[in-house]
Amino acid sequence: MAVALQGIEFHRAMSDAVFTHCPYCAFQCGMRLSRSGSKIIVEGDESFPVNKGALCVKGWTSAAALEHPERLRQPLARNARGELVPTTWDDALARIARAFIDARARYGPNAVGLFGSGALTNEKAYLLGKFARVALGTASIDYNGRFCMSSAAAASIKAFGVDRGLPFPLEEIAHAETILLVGSNAAETMPPIMQYFQRQRENGGRLIVIDPRRTPTAAAADIHLQLTPGTDAALANGLLHLLVRDGLIDEQYIRERTEGFELVRRTIASYWPERVERITGVPVAQLIEAAHLLGRAETAMVLTARGAEQQARGVDNALAYINIALALGLVGKPSSGYGCLTGQGNGQGGREHGQKADQLPGYRRLDDPAARRHIAAVWRIAEDALPGPGRSAYEMLDGLGREDGVRALLVMGSNPVVSAPNAAHIMARFEALDFLAVADFFLSETAQLADVVLPSAQWAEEEGTMTNLEGRVILRRRAFSPPEGVLTDIEILCALAAHLGHASSFSFAGPREVFDELRRASAGGLADYSGITYEKIEANRGIFWPCPAEDHPGTPRMFADSFPTANGRARFHAIEYRPPAEEIDEEYPLYLTTGRLLAHYQSGAQTRRIAELRELVEEPSIEIHPATAKLYGLAEGDRAILRTRRGAAEFKVRVTADIREDTIFVPFHWGNALAINRLTNAALDPISKMPEFKVCAARLERSSANGKEG
Amino acid sequence: MSKQRLVIIGNGMAGARFVEELLAQGGGALFEIAVFGDEPYGNYNRILLSNVLAGTYDAQDIFINPPDWYRENGVRLHLGVRALEIDRQAKRVIGEGGCAEAYDKLVIATGSRPVIPPIEGLSKDGVFVFRTLDDCRRIAKEAKHAQRAAIIGGGLLGLEAAYGLLKLGLETHVVHLMSHLMEAQLDATGGAILKRELERMGLKIHLRKRTIATLGQDRVTGLVFDDGATLDCDMVIVCAGTRPNVELAQKAGLAVERGIVIGDDLASPDDPDIYAIGECAEHNGQTYGTVAPLWDQARILAERLARRNPAARYTGSRVSTRLKVAGIELTVMGAKDPQRPNDEVVVYSDPSRAVYKKLIIRNGRLIGAILLGDGMTIPTLLQAFDRRARLPENPAEIMFSFAWSNIPKASETQRICHCNGVSRAKIVAAIRSGHCTVDAVAKATRAGTGCGSCRTEIHAILEAHLRETGGALAAAERVGQLRAAYDAAS
Repeated sequence: MAVALQGIEFHRAMSDAVFTHCPYCAFQCGMRLSRSGSKIIVEGDESFPVNKGALCVKGWTSAAALEHPERLRQPLARNARGELVPTTWDDALARIARAFIDARARYGPNAVGLFGSGALTNEKAYLLGKFARVALGTASIDYNGRFCMSSAAAASIKAFGVDRGLPFPLEEIAHAETILLVGSNAAETMPPIMQYFQRQRENGGRLIVIDPRRTPTAAAADIHLQLTPGTDAALANGLLHLLVRDGLIDEQYIRERTEGFELVRRTIASYWPERVERITGVPVAQLIEAAHLLGRAETAMVLTARGAEQQARGVDNALAYINIALALGLVGKPSSGYGCLTGQGNGQGGREHGQKADQLPGYRRLDDPAARRHIAAVWRIAEDALPGPGRSAYEMLDGLGREDGVRALLVMGSNPVVSAPNAAHIMARFEALDFLAVADFFLSETAQLADVVLPSAQWAEEEGTMTNLEGRVILRRRAFSPPEGVLTDIEILCALAAHLGHASSFSFAGPREVFDELRRASAGGLADYSGITYEKIEANRGIFWPCPAEDHPGTPRMFADSFPTANGRARFHAIEYRPPAEEIDEEYPLYLTTGRLLAHYQSGAQTRRIAELRELVEEPSIEIHPATAKLYGLAEGDRAILRTRRGAAEFKVRVTADIREDTIFVPFHWGNALAINRLTNAALDPISKMPEFKVCAARLERSSANGKEG
Repeated sequence: MSKQRLVIIGNGMAGARFVEELLAQGGGALFEIAVFGDEPYGNYNRILLSNVLAGTYDAQDIFINPPDWYRENGVRLHLGVRALEIDRQAKRVIGEGGCAEAYDKLVIATGSRPVIPPIEGLSKDGVFVFRTLDDCRRIAKEAKHAQRAAIIGGGLLGLEAAYGLLKLGLETHVVHLMSHLMEAQLDATGGAILKRELERMGLKIHLRKRTIATLGQDRVTGLVFDDGATLDCDMVIVCAGTRPNVELAQKAGLAVERGIVIGDDLASPDDPDIYAIGECAEHNGQTYGTVAPLWDQARILAERLARRNPAARYTGSRVSTRLKVAGIELTVMGAKDPQRPNDEVVVYSDPSRAVYKKLIIRNGRLIGAILLGDGMTIPTLLQAFDRRARLPENPAEIMFSFAWSNIPKASETQRICHCNGVSRAKIVAAIRSGHCTVDAVAKATRAGTGCGSCRTEIHAILEAHLRETGGALAAAERVGQLRAAYDAAS
């Protein structure tokens, strides 16, 4: 444990600096925070084995949100004129409690809803789930992770019996001979991870990137397969077809460790390279080259991200890529396997402990009688008092204010009127609510609609655990006190529970006590945290779950011998390619795809308020190929109206040859008139309920703001 | 409601695909399904047969659905049973061996068969057609003992078969009636370049040769041409085109031209309960021999019959073909020549590099193309053709993959550090203001403080800058220091 000890000593040596983690993505860079006069100093933590001191521009500037002038410092509530004005905590909490009790009395328990977030710590996510089931007795709880990780999570569970984003430590990336990176622009969305790909390259490894755009990540690859949006399953099947054709699959592994390959083999027989080329737009020669780089490598990884997953067939897409990893015998072998790159800060932990509509802590299923028994005992309630599974995020939002939908809602750490698909419609649903409460630290677009807004503490102001993209449970330490008048989310939930008459089930002195209960609740589940303690995390710089006992070292690598499925085998799934929910046509001839930029994070509620980040990218623009731009009479800097079947919005034009001629890209970090999600398609994956953010049909018009053409 | 009886004649690329689509769309709940298939297998991917011959594929890897699959899905498959008659009065299909199936709806997917040209002596041993997996196996078996093969027909299938035999080590001749290869899809220029490329691979190609007879007693030993010349060979494959299998329909009194006539509803105009799809069908005067149109038809008919979209109509398919010969990139689509006075023709021809591209454009949209020798641009053009998309005003912008590779990037604003969004300009500014090591630049701009992969580039910018500014800083010694600083930092 030399490294760990070193870390502690380092910590002590710099006693004025507090070691914590970045508030943003799932990489959860270790950072040190200290104060120098009135300034907060941010430094990378060299001793943290994940980022090794590296930070990106979002991390470097993260402290600017802490003492931001727009920071909410007292609760707000609507006055008689409908304005949001300051009020007391007691009044705010009493109003929420009253509204909840009222809605329940009038419409039943499921009319009260909770919307959580992948940004919440494990303790908060756990407590929010418990709050729903114990304090409110409602089935209506879900979170924004549906819009993020749900497809990969569902695929992993189907294939491997468990979902841990990376079932191996990041370190192994550096030693993989070939990596297939699907739909990820990690160089901008998770920059510090690129050090591992850089080392992989230095070790002689090859990188294949699949993306409709030539992103900085794709530009760094040996092969870039620039596929047509929405054709992932055809591409994955096509690669597997070539691997079978050329005898590169691992028959022994398939025989001994998997099931279901025969059907896959027959299905992919219809994905010969010429057909796949026509569907995906990827040249045959590139398909063959990529298949051979994968199939002839001793060690190889298949990593997927939102590009393939945020589709109405996101689960199928992920399964089709998983088939490649299984057929090559990669899963469970060193420096090999399948993984997904989690997006949100606690996107992993946030999907394990019960803020999902169908789930209980420890990655248990809400409809599993044994799981219900276990959790009911931990929570000291009757098993039949536990509600059943509720609606998924989009379905819940779509039902807001409706007859059988949620009438009173609390949103915590999320900004769904920007981040949900078909956002104008979702905005209207929010407006139809009887009552909305939002807990946040800025007045986000969603908070602006609220009846009551609760100012909550930020990441550096409270303690709690996060589970990073590797399944490593880490500890965020508190560096500063929250501003006067601000409570932590845990304090908020406990206080609210007291107002609802459930004080005894929510009497936690702090996050540690919540974590101790979470440990007991997760014991025996797939994501077993029962052997993890704050002290153990500190000593080891994180513990990988499952960790079923205090003397258990945690599980950095999974699947070495078997899979947690009924028979211990991984499962293949035969996947047919189906076109996206909305295909391009004469009227809407371009694919619209959406995504992220370096300078901003998710709905932008934090990063748009940070001057340095705003300077990097002030407003969203449409990325368009020069040939297509010419066709529409558009030039760099022009304004264009982008239209889909959901609506229209005007953006600046950015001309780049790094995108396909048939595709345009708009980032989604902005709200209101600049919210691209007002235009995206809410077609949902039948299993994960993931909306189709990554592909819909669009058309472009010159804006009259440009003046006369020519 | 009890299920309707649905019978499919034909278990090939169209028939079996239709059954798959129908089941996928929930048609299993509406129909009791029976299939006649005259081959003794489940269905396989016929498209890949020439690759099986060439040894690129194992035969087992082209099977799509084994007989079990039909059973598991409640489909009665009459394996190896040829349908002999459609009794429209009794609404029954009668098969070989007395097997009969009554139908409420009937789908004819009988495919096509090889055309046998009027050549004397084609029944001898050593003469083959190339249509089925059994044909493929017989040819491969024969090829083991043969030295010299002749393929009659220089169309797509003939060339792919020839390539297969060449790969098996035979001296392979292609005998073609017309003045250039693949004349249905290629113009003369394209045909000539293709011929040279195939010859370079080792094929012997004979154009404008009409075969009139074979040599040999019971076994073929050669071919005789109408000009009196002969060609010695010990096996022959006839690839002289295909003809739709229409006899069953004809006997049943359905309208037949070249193929079985169908409307946009894929039904015969003579009988609303009888449909035809695949190579045997003729829609709007057009029969199809490639797989994509067959699958379009199969999908649309399934949508209609499974009632997912009972009003779905088939309005014709965009046809494209790719020659499956390793080492030759050739895709053809749509028209090979202009059809109307206003059609534009754009040609790029570079015979010495075996590159030939020809686009036929109507009203700014691609209606046909020949693309030879440059695989990288094929998909973009093919998709533009499939979607009837508007082409760039200057078609060259889509004809060459390097068309946009050198758009000037404003190098001053070019981003060097992606983790921190630091441009080249910012780095240069930092250097100019005296930050002359990689670490100093990092401190000043944050460039290189993320993943670190841009540090090499920052170092290069530093060196270039120092070289430019010359003078005091250019001393080798100083560069040495910088290197040391860089190495220490990384």
